[in-house]
Amino acid sequence: MSYAYLFKYIIIGDTGVGKSCLLLQFTDKRFQPVHDLTIGVEFGARMITIDGKQIKLQIWDTAGQEAFRSITRSYYRGAAGALLVYDITRRDTFDHLTSWLEDARQHSNSNMVIMLIGNKSDLESRREVKKEEGEAFAREHGLVFMETSAKTAANVEEAFINTAKEIYEKIQEGVFDVNNEANGIKLGPQHGPANVHPGSGNASMSQSGGCC
Amino acid sequence: MMSSQPATPVPKQNSLWKRGSINVPGRPKLKSASKSKAADADSFQNFTESVSDAWDIGDDEFCNLSIGDMIISPGEVHSAALSVLESHKQSTLSVKPNACTDAGKAEALQRLAMKDAVPRLPDHVIHPKHYPGFPRPIGQGSTAVRTSSESETSSEALRIQKFQTILFEGSSSINMEELKKLSWSGVPSAVRPDVWRLLSDYVPPNRDRWESVATKKREEYWNYVENYYKTRSDEQNGETYRQIHIDIPRMAPLMPLFQQPLVQEILERILFIWAIRHPASGYVQGINDLVTPFFVVFISEHVERCLELTSNSPPNVDKVVSAEALRSVEADTFWGFSHLLSGIQDHYTFAQPGIQKRIHQLADLVQRVDKTLHAHIARHDIDYLQFAFRWMNNLLTRELSLQCTLRLWDTCLVEPQGFGLFYLYICAAFLFHWRDELLRQMDFQSLMLLLQNLPTKDWTPKEIEVLTAEAYRLKYVFDGAPNHLAK
Repeated sequence: MSYAYLFKYIIIGDTGVGKSCLLLQFTDKRFQPVHDLTIGVEFGARMITIDGKQIKLQIWDTAGQEAFRSITRSYYRGAAGALLVYDITRRDTFDHLTSWLEDARQHSNSNMVIMLIGNKSDLESRREVKKEEGEAFAREHGLVFMETSAKTAANVEEAFINTAKEIYEKIQEGVFDVNNEANGIKLGPQHGPANVHPGSGNASMSQSGGCC
Repeated sequence: MMSSQPATPVPKQNSLWKRGSINVPGRPKLKSASKSKAADADSFQNFTESVSDAWDIGDDEFCNLSIGDMIISPGEVHSAALSVLESHKQSTLSVKPNACTDAGKAEALQRLAMKDAVPRLPDHVIHPKHYPGFPRPIGQGSTAVRTSSESETSSEALRIQKFQTILFEGSSSINMEELKKLSWSGVPSAVRPDVWRLLSDYVPPNRDRWESVATKKREEYWNYVENYYKTRSDEQNGETYRQIHIDIPRMAPLMPLFQQPLVQEILERILFIWAIRHPASGYVQGINDLVTPFFVVFISEHVERCLELTSNSPPNVDKVVSAEALRSVEADTFWGFSHLLSGIQDHYTFAQPGIQKRIHQLADLVQRVDKTLHAHIARHDIDYLQFAFRWMNNLLTRELSLQCTLRLWDTCLVEPQGFGLFYLYICAAFLFHWRDELLRQMDFQSLMLLLQNLPTKDWTPKEIEVLTAEAYRLKYVFDGAPNHLAK
């Protein structure tokens, strides 16, 4: 399957806010009520379409515990988009956003698109953080904001896809250097400088129709 | 250096490992190996199909496979180790002459792994003495029930008797060397609690002192609980407790036993007490997965049908185990878990240097043993940290079923640095096992998805026996080798 661009994402936020469940809902369209703790980083991927173009998303889901911070920090580099997630039913996860944001800004490239996500919007009765507070925080720090529910899938597609749209727009505006992979963006094969398989000649590749 | 040895990774011990030019001892083909591989491939295929929209053959760099570069074939390793273990069983459990060359070779390899032959089984059936007061006389009386309910084979029953001879017969001082030799190849579930207590230095080899030592240790644990558990609401320890408290319900989501509130309270106490007594590391996610095997082992001696506990509909623990017995189980679990962690504390201190070092060594080892695989991983920009971190942090408990973990830990409890350096070889053997599947993945994405979701669903302790035999072989070759394993 060919694609126009590959975008790399990272999902960050406190432990237990639903990062892995968001990813699972986005990649597999299912919800797992009890999700095992994420250790280190976990990987997921999906293809989406924007402006008629196929875009491949490769997503790193990170462990939220402070102890893993030294491991997960290295994934900011090389990410074009970040989903910064808190849990609307736990005030402390919202209070920690500033430190997450500092971490992200410090270790990522400056053009990285950050989407702020208030997850678990299905648990309205247990809400501790108002939607307006999330909006205000996002406005103040120049982020895109959305409330989601990994359980009902509400806004999950939108969260990932809108982030991709932002990145795509930045590419159109020439903000991102698409030839520098450190930005978390890679041109698809048909956009590449040459369609020739580098040093290949591998017979098994012919099934992809001459172009990968 | 290894690099000049394309045919075998064993340059110095050629005489041990390579008697003929082609036949490597203990490496005959075994048919059953291919069957399980096919099943693995199927399940991974299902997985790939389920995420097919994200799959794209050849989107990143390309790779040229050159089978000629292959140094070790996991298929061969797999079948070799299987046959080693098969023939070892035959040769030690029954008095069977080893005329067959393959079996002879296989036995030689296994003997090396065991360092020595295990003692011959007595002909008579053993009735071990009863030691009142000591945590439920394992294998005494209840063994018969458990044996039949788990439909263990008669050879398994013989193995149990061998353990019982060591544990309960003869002088009151247990022969630890014999016990370790026997345990290396796996401990039957009926005697595992007793054996694990001994291998974890929880009780001394002197059988007469088991009861008093265990009683003292249990009191010590419960004193900790009394003194420290109340501090969970303090400002200083509150954060640790909160973290454990929200993590416990997320543990082992596929095992309903761990969703029982009573069991969760036990795990919470154990983790909290351990964390505040080890402030250098504190509670790090993942170590919670290292408690569950001990808990399952120690509670098993108090239930008639222990398999039910790990089933999908376990009985309520307080219905089948007395409160007093549960206190012992909790304390024993704490001490077993503490002993394991004491060997790998730097895995969990700040920035986890122990794990970083092991992963570095793993990459180094793979590069030496299997250049093709290492190059494949490197070509696709995969960092060993991205898949091996969880292996080390959780000691493969996420990759293996509980049953397999127990079998693996039987060996690791015997091995010196069993959860440290030996686990490096275990992880390497684990990676080599998937070699062929990994080499078939042609881009970063498919490779990473496979590495993070290895299809071990159908693994049984048999696969672990292969894994430990291969890990031992790697250790035998590489441990202490000059210039080996990067610092």
